[in-house]
Amino acid sequence: MRNSMKVAKWEIKRNMKNKTFLIGLFLTPILIVAFMFIGSLFNDDSEDLTTEQVTVLVNDQLNTYDSLEETINQTALNLELKKTDISEGDAQDALIGSENTAYIFIDQRALEQGIVPVYTSEEINPYFMDQIQVFETPLKSIQLENLGLTDEQLVMISSNISFEKVVSGDRDSGTENNSEESSGPPLEKIIPGIFAGFVMLSIVFTGMAIFQSASQEKKDKIAEIILSSLTPGELMNGKIIGYFVLGLIQTVVSIAILLPAAIWKIDFPFMEYLFVPELALYLFIAILGYLLFAAIFVGVGATMADISTAGNFQGFVMMLPFATFIFIGPVLGDPSGLWAQVGTYIPFTSPGVLLLRLVLLDHWPWLEIIIALAILLVSIVLFMKLAGKIFKVGILLYGKNASVKEIWKWIRA
Amino acid sequence: MEVMLTVEGLEKSFKDKKVLKGISFEVRKGEIMAILGPNGAGKSTTIRNIMGIMYPDKGSVTFHQHNGKGIPREKIGYLPEERGLYKNVNVMDILLYLADLKDYPLHKAKERALMYLKKFDLEGKEKISVEELSKGMGQKVQFISSIIHEPELLILDEPFSGLDPVSQELFKEEIRSLADNGTAILLSSHQMNLVEEMCDRLFMIQRGQKVIYGTLNDVKTEYANFKCTIRGLNNRHELENIPEVVRVEDKGESSILYLEKDVDPGNWLKQLPDKINIHELNINRISLHEIFIDIATDKNLMKEGSEVLA
Repeated sequence: MRNSMKVAKWEIKRNMKNKTFLIGLFLTPILIVAFMFIGSLFNDDSEDLTTEQVTVLVNDQLNTYDSLEETINQTALNLELKKTDISEGDAQDALIGSENTAYIFIDQRALEQGIVPVYTSEEINPYFMDQIQVFETPLKSIQLENLGLTDEQLVMISSNISFEKVVSGDRDSGTENNSEESSGPPLEKIIPGIFAGFVMLSIVFTGMAIFQSASQEKKDKIAEIILSSLTPGELMNGKIIGYFVLGLIQTVVSIAILLPAAIWKIDFPFMEYLFVPELALYLFIAILGYLLFAAIFVGVGATMADISTAGNFQGFVMMLPFATFIFIGPVLGDPSGLWAQVGTYIPFTSPGVLLLRLVLLDHWPWLEIIIALAILLVSIVLFMKLAGKIFKVGILLYGKNASVKEIWKWIRA
Repeated sequence: MEVMLTVEGLEKSFKDKKVLKGISFEVRKGEIMAILGPNGAGKSTTIRNIMGIMYPDKGSVTFHQHNGKGIPREKIGYLPEERGLYKNVNVMDILLYLADLKDYPLHKAKERALMYLKKFDLEGKEKISVEELSKGMGQKVQFISSIIHEPELLILDEPFSGLDPVSQELFKEEIRSLADNGTAILLSSHQMNLVEEMCDRLFMIQRGQKVIYGTLNDVKTEYANFKCTIRGLNNRHELENIPEVVRVEDKGESSILYLEKDVDPGNWLKQLPDKINIHELNINRISLHEIFIDIATDKNLMKEGSEVLA
């Protein structure tokens, strides 16, 4: 164990001094933040456009001005309303050379044909024509009033017809219905769930570097020198621990950069929802997930001469963490369905699917959770053992990739 | 001399091929013991079995002065045949890491690292990255890494391969001085001249079997008969008729006469026929190099002798 810690310390130190790792360490979260901002930059632009003030001159012959003004105040649209007596012909002349100005003519045509002529300057807020649609409602009501309808009739006509769905039978069986009613899982579950998911992704992805690292000793031909000081098992465990810590460092750095940006940008009290009892279980699942993949990566990594020469088998193994993504759709659709359960019991997808389900489900299926955790733990022990066997032989196999047949032989040895 | 390491009856098979067939020897404190043999003879396999990198099918490896179980890794320095260093780290970091793995105090390791870097003409290189080192410099750093923790037993697998003559000399001197200071050294090499100059005892191995084992002098008296090289054109038949000549080899204008085992060179010279044409003559023992080539190519020039001991 002491030797493993030395290896772990070395792996951490080596990576922390490595420019590539450091750039990745900071660049990943900075890129995420950058994309957040680039996204909001576009939003700002569009907001600017919609908020550009337009002067609207109304030639009102139906006494609607007050209700129009009221509508604008309610919707907070950036329109400046003014009265005018100008004629349609003069309006066209007056608009030449002006910008963000419009003339609206509300007269009998609006009542009879439902047409309101609008004359705008050449340069105008592109959203203007959408914005003035809000005048439809007051004008419509004047139109209806003119027909001599009672208030009651007015209400009935102006209200929309909606379709209400009522499902018969057991309420619980209708999960869709359920989720509609509970309006999604509570924040105390989502926030720690996202956090744990982030931690897991972060350490698993950093852990993928184990792949590289396991073949590093072979590539640099230092394996025998190292193994003259410690056992292959110690070296392997050291790497697993080292990359776990590196993953945590990546997580902490990412969070340190992302969280302030997120809090500032989204303006939401994350912290209150983050530190809840559920977080402990989430993080436990995340760590189990890491250990499983770390064992697989370190074992398979030791069978390759170099990451660039990885064969089909190695490439396939490397894709294992992404298997979880297959289940995301079905689990979101039905967190207690067959797919969700299958995903929970497959060790490779179990951590991700379990996290997702726990976030989505109101009532945790404890039996399933316990069985899944047990499967996960057994798999970890099993894969660690297999990885140890493969690592022991593979680490000394210089300059070539091991075939699946060879790996099988080492496992059986 | 105190025995540091005993190897007894080592056997190892890869698939169906037996690569070690009962190897036994010992390494003593303060001596340089050489394992010699052609490629594929089993030298590195023997060493890997000693280092616990492989496990023998049969036989035992005993480290004396060590009470615990397993291999006293912190007391052994090892320079493998296939060797290298992590590429993207600096020289001092890797030396300190390897010393740390041997449980050697870091401040002492740092001192010794600087001392050895200076000794090997690498002064001021401790901060540069390993990948910037030339091959020879890298070899030197690897060598330093194997001795930085003051090992009691030093195992060097082909320490001279890829070194220029100047560096070879440096290594040779350092290895000799380590032995003089009490380190037990086991080395394997192809460079016979170097081995001949520095080793105290040797173990020659062919196809996983012992061929020769003993001190350099013993081996030379035992196996290295005298040979006489004569430059000048002579009739082969006449040369073969000279008493105590076992075999004659022609090489252009010179002939090599292999003599019988117990020949007395002085007396033998006196009875050379007068008619022999001699431009140049020298008489010496067959070198280790020749014994080695002989064994490696299965000529079995010294077959009689080897059979006696094998």
